Amino acid sequence: MRVVSTTSLIPAETAARVGELLAPPVTVTVTAEGSQRYAQAVGDLNPIYFDETAAHAAGYRTMVVPPTYVAYALVQGRPLGDIGIDGLFVGDKPIRLEVARIMFGGEEWDFVAPVHAGDVITGEARLAAIDQKDGSKGPFVRITREITYRTAAGEVVARTRQIGIAR
Amino acid sequence: MSAVVQPYADELAPGAVLPTVVRNASRVQLFLYSAATWNPHRIHYDVDYARFEGHPDIIVHGPLQGAWLSQYVTDWAGPAGRMRSLQWQNRASALPERDYEFHGRVIAIDGDLVTLEVWEQDPDGNVLMPGEAVVQLPRRDRG
Repeated sequence: MRVVSTTSLIPAETAARVGELLAPPVTVTVTAEGSQRYAQAVGDLNPIYFDETAAHAAGYRTMVVPPTYVAYALVQGRPLGDIGIDGLFVGDKPIRLEVARIMFGGEEWDFVAPVHAGDVITGEARLAAIDQKDGSKGPFVRITREITYRTAAGEVVARTRQIGIAR
Repeated sequence: MSAVVQPYADELAPGAVLPTVVRNASRVQLFLYSAATWNPHRIHYDVDYARFEGHPDIIVHGPLQGAWLSQYVTDWAGPAGRMRSLQWQNRASALPERDYEFHGRVIAIDGDLVTLEVWEQDPDGNVLMPGEAVVQLPRRDRG
């Protein structure tokens, strides 16, 4: 018979939250200014993000934004009082785990349609999964947040699954 | 950016190797990326705090390395290419003022969809970030 670890890092109240919306949906107008600042900070000077003519030549109806930028276009400003000692914003309903810290573990993107400067996009984040695993450095928790981005007409333009590793 | 070269799906074969690209983030770049993404996490700009959390220095944002990987794919795919999916795992932290190499190779071609294995490694060959992308490319045989 296999010996199964009975120590759970995931409180029952957290496990019960799988599938729930992590925050109310956010709607923004994606701006060229925000997109270009992001592209410059990444070091990605592709002209389709900066120049209307280059975007047309590449087959887009207007300037597009870097594929992963949509996630940052939707980040909401928060007051300084909402920032914890580590500098991270404290959520209204943080995901409670019996762990010391959470690291960014990776991401899985589907790009369904391009996002253009000026598009109105709504993002909806759900807690997609929470699993405890046994790694070489001991047990850890894998948290998957799935965010779906849609146009005002309701068409999905992108979807991402952000993986957090907590231990 | 280098000169624009457009790859075509029917001119590629599995095993084709993408040119290597080297990225190196300055401390200023990390600061700007934090600002542009409204990310106040101290491990990306406060050395003392980063050490308190057990890091040797401030660390490069995992999503910035993801954005570099995205750019690696879209630069290669050219103006007519469209990246359809991209996934990566952040296995180890990257530090500022160090060179990191981006590599890739074609692993499958299905019509106009080309699947790439892509990854970031340090100069010693340790893979920090393995990933995979699917890119839609034009074909010469369809004009």
